[in-house]
Amino acid sequence: MQELKNAGHQFMMEETLETAVSMSKITKRFPGVVALESVTLHVRRGHVHAICGENGAGKSTLMKILSGVYQPDAGELHINAKKVIFQGTRDAEVAGVAIIHQELELVEELSVAANIFLGREPRGMFGLLNDNIAKDKAQSLLTLLEASISPDEKTGALRVGDQQLVEIAKALSLNASILVMDEPTSALTDKETERLEQTIGALRQQGCTILYISHKMDEVFRLADQITVLRDGQLVRTVDKSETSPSEVANWMVGRDIINHNFRSQPTIGKCLLEVKKLSSSLDYSSQSDQLHDVSFRVHAGEVLGIAGLMGAGRTEVLEAIFGVTHGHWQGEVFLSGKRVRFKHPSEACKAGLVMVPEDRKRLGIFENFQVNENISLCSLFRIMRNGFLSRRAEEDLVAEAISQIGIKTPAQTTKITQLSGGNQQKCIISRWLLTKPKVLLLDDPTRGIDVGAKAELYTLVNSLCQAGMAVVLTSSELPELLTLSDRLIVMNQGKVTGEFSHHEATEQKIMNAATLA
Amino acid sequence: MRSWYLFLRNAVQRWLPLHNEWSLLVAIIAALAFTAIVDTNHTYFFQPLDSLRDIARNSAMLGMFSLGAAVVIISGGIDLSSGSMIALSGTVCSVTMLALAPTEMMAFQPVGWEIVLIAILASLFTGFFVGTLHTWLITVVHLPPFVATLATLVGLRSFARALCESSTSVLTPTKSAVINVADPLFKSVRDNVWFSVGTFLVLACITWLILTRTVLGRHLKALGGNEQAARLAGIHTDNVKWFAYCFGAMTAALAGLFYVANESVAAPVNQGRGHELNAIAAAVVGGCSLSGGVGTIPGTVLGAFFLRVVIDAVSKIIKTGADVYEGLIVGGVVVLAVTFAQGMSGKQDGRRILPGMLGLCTIPVLALISGSLAAMTTGLGSGLAVCFTAIVALISLRIYENRSCN
Repeated sequence: MQELKNAGHQFMMEETLETAVSMSKITKRFPGVVALESVTLHVRRGHVHAICGENGAGKSTLMKILSGVYQPDAGELHINAKKVIFQGTRDAEVAGVAIIHQELELVEELSVAANIFLGREPRGMFGLLNDNIAKDKAQSLLTLLEASISPDEKTGALRVGDQQLVEIAKALSLNASILVMDEPTSALTDKETERLEQTIGALRQQGCTILYISHKMDEVFRLADQITVLRDGQLVRTVDKSETSPSEVANWMVGRDIINHNFRSQPTIGKCLLEVKKLSSSLDYSSQSDQLHDVSFRVHAGEVLGIAGLMGAGRTEVLEAIFGVTHGHWQGEVFLSGKRVRFKHPSEACKAGLVMVPEDRKRLGIFENFQVNENISLCSLFRIMRNGFLSRRAEEDLVAEAISQIGIKTPAQTTKITQLSGGNQQKCIISRWLLTKPKVLLLDDPTRGIDVGAKAELYTLVNSLCQAGMAVVLTSSELPELLTLSDRLIVMNQGKVTGEFSHHEATEQKIMNAATLA
Repeated sequence: MRSWYLFLRNAVQRWLPLHNEWSLLVAIIAALAFTAIVDTNHTYFFQPLDSLRDIARNSAMLGMFSLGAAVVIISGGIDLSSGSMIALSGTVCSVTMLALAPTEMMAFQPVGWEIVLIAILASLFTGFFVGTLHTWLITVVHLPPFVATLATLVGLRSFARALCESSTSVLTPTKSAVINVADPLFKSVRDNVWFSVGTFLVLACITWLILTRTVLGRHLKALGGNEQAARLAGIHTDNVKWFAYCFGAMTAALAGLFYVANESVAAPVNQGRGHELNAIAAAVVGGCSLSGGVGTIPGTVLGAFFLRVVIDAVSKIIKTGADVYEGLIVGGVVVLAVTFAQGMSGKQDGRRILPGMLGLCTIPVLALISGSLAAMTTGLGSGLAVCFTAIVALISLRIYENRSCN
């Protein structure tokens, strides 16, 4: 009896010693959405644990709770078998948890060494900054990571892959034993990805526990020891890598057989509505290489043209140039319904029947100070004027029509837009533009960060718009989405079109090849 | 029957959410009642009409350019220059009259309504020019609104003084820093409070209509809420800004005319000095958010009224030299009103008032402010008492907070 108890005790000890992170029944709600619903996760020490899921599945929220950015509404968090409550990222850092966010959080104006020790700057005599200590320490960390970066370099001048290494060095400088990486490879080239994978391997050798968020199956299966799949804020399951296969994990992520569902009915292709000929722009309005070289394509009525490409390939820039966001600073020709156009302001494009739904919903799309109705009617205010004044009644009718047309779920027209879910916010923005009765619709990554159900609804919407004779240009960071929706696909790489495929020709492999090989 | 019910429901839905306006109204009434009782002369009881007229005139003048400040703030910008714009507008008006009718002006004779009209138009156009300059500096030169209007805040007053001195040296025998205005039209504006109150109310109604019922108003709020998204939604954001800054400067120009009428003199050295902050304060107390996109005109009107009521209350209670305390009052009211508004919307939940080292150092600061205020107004003894009480109260608050936190 005693032996049994001891054995049990022993087992418990082992279990707790081996578990670096244990999150039990974590729940987190945001206004209008349940981001996480009672999620339980155990991560063994020294393992690489992959967290998989679609956008909006709750991966990032879970990791932000682990690293103290958010506080859970319910549930417990144990680090190295000790119960912890993180009030902020500082608490998490003390407990040895560091996170490398999807959007890197570096001060571009400061040197590499200064970034690594930001907020914990080594001091020398009289409490003055001592840059030399910082530099030496930074150098040794960078050497450890086998990175050829000088600590003196300005961080903003580094490539994204190198900036990521700086973030990792920063995490290591905190003596973090638990490292969270949120989609670290989304902006990396193949070579940089390979180097990152080596670094992760090395860190694991040194006993670091790594939580790795990704929805790229190949990476996950190369790196991870265990895989946890989340979907719509709920835990699907946690498995050892050896017990599963990429296709199985993909099915768990998607849940429904969504990707194979055919959202596109047979297109009836009409006349050419938008033609772009040799669009080039040398305007360098952000630090990355955003130049476009000789981009040409045509879109017909009733057709969806997909534009594939990695981040920074120039997808957004093409759409913005056509829509007039860049003041018409580009060379080449654009024809709308056969007429040559060069829009200098989005309002001109809108009048001519070409509209764009911008990529970053929160930053470029919604007006947080507005209610749902004001957000929807904004682009068609002249339709609700009566005797020179805006008519509330006309607005109500117009918005009611828009809401029922594309099925926006909102408690009332006068609800604050921030209280809607991401998918419904996106629908509000799309309906804002649809009310202007456009002929050509440019959709820039419209499904980023919205849940699976809302995605399916958007796909159906795009299909019905095409059936009504609209031409749609769609970009997306998710290949399956592009493959499902597009009648034709062009692939962009560093500002150039590097491939064009029909719906039947296109495969993920072909597109990735065209998108990565210059 | 049903239509009446719908009408009522709509009205309730529309008016109930205006917490800020209702609480301001209550605060105004409370301040008036408090003053009526505490004031030892009981002016509000014995001369209610005179008191009301004073408050109404001052509120109307502050209110006019508060409307401008509110529109600029709602559009996501800020206009710091309205005080100097007031001085410049008054100077332009009187210089125009001096140039067109020098003899009448110097003899304090009527100059004729045509000339007054031209002078008024000249002032309003000056406002338009200044607004245009602001917009150019902000949208083309890409200065932050704070910097652009800070430059004109100091620049315009200096310009007005130079204009006054150089034109008096040419048009009159002696160079002068002031120009007297004795035209009967201006005198009647001074003597009849309805001119300023009427102008203000009409202007407020127009502004309210613009903001709530026109495309321009909707675009203004969109611009203030999210400038990039507004541009991508096809709004000509630069034009909307142009309207906002011109409206801001022209309302200040209009107020400048009433300042001249009230004081019968254009004095660019001091007229309207520092009043830009009162206007911004009125807008903020009225519920405008400095981050843009949020704010109402009824709120701003009540905010201006509230500010003047409180200032008047202090002058009634203190009697002599109350203008010294005007800045203190405006500052205090802004802090209290905004803190109160935040508390209502629950933004301060669970926050400590005196946290850490900062809280510890804040205790003597607050105690010194309240103590010295009491000492200056009522005497050294009560000052010390207030200071001591404040220290004891704040320290107990701090201890209480520490206890409940742990």
